[in-house]
Amino acid sequence: MKISRKIAGALALSAAAAVVLAGCTSRNDTGSSAAPGASEGASTEDLTIAFVPKLQGIPYFEAMNTGGQQAAEELGFEWLYQGPTTADAAAQADIVRSFIQQGVDVLFVAPNDPNSMAPLLEEAQAAGIHVATTDTDAPDSVREVFVNQASVEGIGQALTDTLLEAMGGSGKYAIVSCGETAANLNAWIEVQEAYTASEYPDAEIVDIVYAGEDQAMATQMATDLMNSHPDLTGLVGECTSSAPGVAQAVQDANRIGEVFTVGLGTPQSMLPYLESGASSGSILWDVEALGYLTGWAGVQLANDGDLGDTSSLTDESLADVEYDEASGVLLLGPPTVFTAENAGDYDY
Amino acid sequence: MTTATEARAPQSVSMRRILPPIVTGQEVVLLVVLAVLWVLLGLFTPAFLTPGSIGPLLVQVAPIALIGVGMTFVIITAGIDVSVAGMIMVSAVVTARVLVSYDVPAIAAVALAIVIGAALGALNGVLIAYGRVHPIIITFGTANLFLWLGLRVFNSSTVNGIPSTLEFFGRGAAGSTLGVPHSFAIAVLAVAVAWWFLRYAKAGRNLYAIGGNQNAARLAGIKVQPRLVWVYLITGALAGLAACMVIATGTSTLDQSVGSGKELQVIAAVVIGGTSILGGRGSVVGTLLGAILVQTVVSGVTQLGWPTQLGFLFVGIFILIAVGTDLIRERARRSRA
Repeated sequence: MKISRKIAGALALSAAAAVVLAGCTSRNDTGSSAAPGASEGASTEDLTIAFVPKLQGIPYFEAMNTGGQQAAEELGFEWLYQGPTTADAAAQADIVRSFIQQGVDVLFVAPNDPNSMAPLLEEAQAAGIHVATTDTDAPDSVREVFVNQASVEGIGQALTDTLLEAMGGSGKYAIVSCGETAANLNAWIEVQEAYTASEYPDAEIVDIVYAGEDQAMATQMATDLMNSHPDLTGLVGECTSSAPGVAQAVQDANRIGEVFTVGLGTPQSMLPYLESGASSGSILWDVEALGYLTGWAGVQLANDGDLGDTSSLTDESLADVEYDEASGVLLLGPPTVFTAENAGDYDY
Repeated sequence: MTTATEARAPQSVSMRRILPPIVTGQEVVLLVVLAVLWVLLGLFTPAFLTPGSIGPLLVQVAPIALIGVGMTFVIITAGIDVSVAGMIMVSAVVTARVLVSYDVPAIAAVALAIVIGAALGALNGVLIAYGRVHPIIITFGTANLFLWLGLRVFNSSTVNGIPSTLEFFGRGAAGSTLGVPHSFAIAVLAVAVAWWFLRYAKAGRNLYAIGGNQNAARLAGIKVQPRLVWVYLITGALAGLAACMVIATGTSTLDQSVGSGKELQVIAAVVIGGTSILGGRGSVVGTLLGAILVQTVVSGVTQLGWPTQLGFLFVGIFILIAVGTDLIRERARRSRA
């Protein structure tokens, strides 16, 4: 405990040093964020948009970073990306504080703990910073917008539809989830249960197990589920570690074509299973597009632009972006179903 | 203490009198518990006692039992190694990267993984033997070093498209011969060799003496430090071999969660197997049985359709019972002395 605190402290210090150095140039831009209704491009020269992910160094957030950097190049702002090395709320808070101190123009956070992040976001707003969330929301906070990758309903329904299509619309299936308290996974599972009951009366979820973030454990549990339910014809891997895990279990048991799997897996990790038929589809979203959209939303916030006016988003991956003013949610669109045909096009 | 005196016993005393019985009470108890559990699970689940269920279970046990052999040595010397997860991560990620980039044969990949593990283990051993700091502190430090090293090699991305070169160790059809999983057979072989070594080899008996009382062992002329280096080196080498099994049983993608939590699973198997956490006493056969027991509980809970969290409850109870009986035995021995 002591040691991890020390490391966190050291990281926060170096993070602070890094942003202070980087901030020297942007410190003197007082006008840009105040410029009312200016069209983007003209006033984004000195604009600084910071993004604090849950965790730095994992492919998911690195892909978001890539998208954000691309937006920075095209729309002309400075993109700062810094996250903790473990998914730790305290370490993340230190990084957020350092960005507040530096006085960035817009601050995006994917909070590890939405509740403890809320007061910090208030602090940031009081310091004149536009605050927003992306990837994971902090619903009861002062955030101006939440950039949402896909709706809970969208993911739950896409998982169910893709699996049941492979299973022929009926049969027993089980879910291998990961963290037992992970709010987003549990919300998706709730939708899957309700949607399966209402749309597929001949299908049944027989068990839900939790493997943690452990691929081998997910594979073993999927094997156990196939053994304990000989008539099982479907498996869902609810996170990026159990999605390839359940497919591997079906492949190892030599039951491709008898037991079908879907999951939330990154395209690269699912490609071999999509090709072998062990996985019938992987449901996720275009993570780089989410990063790009985050950067775009930051520019709109800084310029008091209209988030609902998505006409400047010309890329195909951003064609379905929707803004809901009442809830302040900017939605990327329906989730993407990756198959053997398109999974190879993505490099994460 | 008693073992130290035994090690110094004159040659005239027959070996039979010095050696503990072939099978200890703890092992018998474990065997009975396992047998009862397997029969019950066979009765109450549709397929627990079928090859399609037992095979994968034994494959899952293999890396834990294998590292457990090294960890039993370590704990017998009154040490501990909490850097196992880090060693697995470094070995696995380097080996996986090599497998993806170069067309190496399985044997070369295995050799590479073992050498990496042994090197990391040797670092542990040297620091512990000559640094004279408690092993838990040293290995806690190196555990973090190894994780850093592993993450450097991962370089912020998963290793994708790992070929099936190591399928010999896997859960699939290529991973077993006549229904016996290769990885489990290797673990059993390692246990057999270690059992003989601890029982009949002088170097093996010395480990008990070191764990019983390190100073007494030194005074008795045992080269304590080189022995300790070897013990941690072997644990590292076995972790390297286990990393190959982890790659083979994993998916075609390796992510940074590899190895995570394995050190606690291994220590759980060793403790449940009856090895005294205080050092000086322990058996590798018990460790193997302990590893099988833990996985039986986890798989059993899933196959019975019970909530996953119950697995933690049962494993926790087993550990507490095992440690409790060990401490009671130790106290009884002290009051006799």
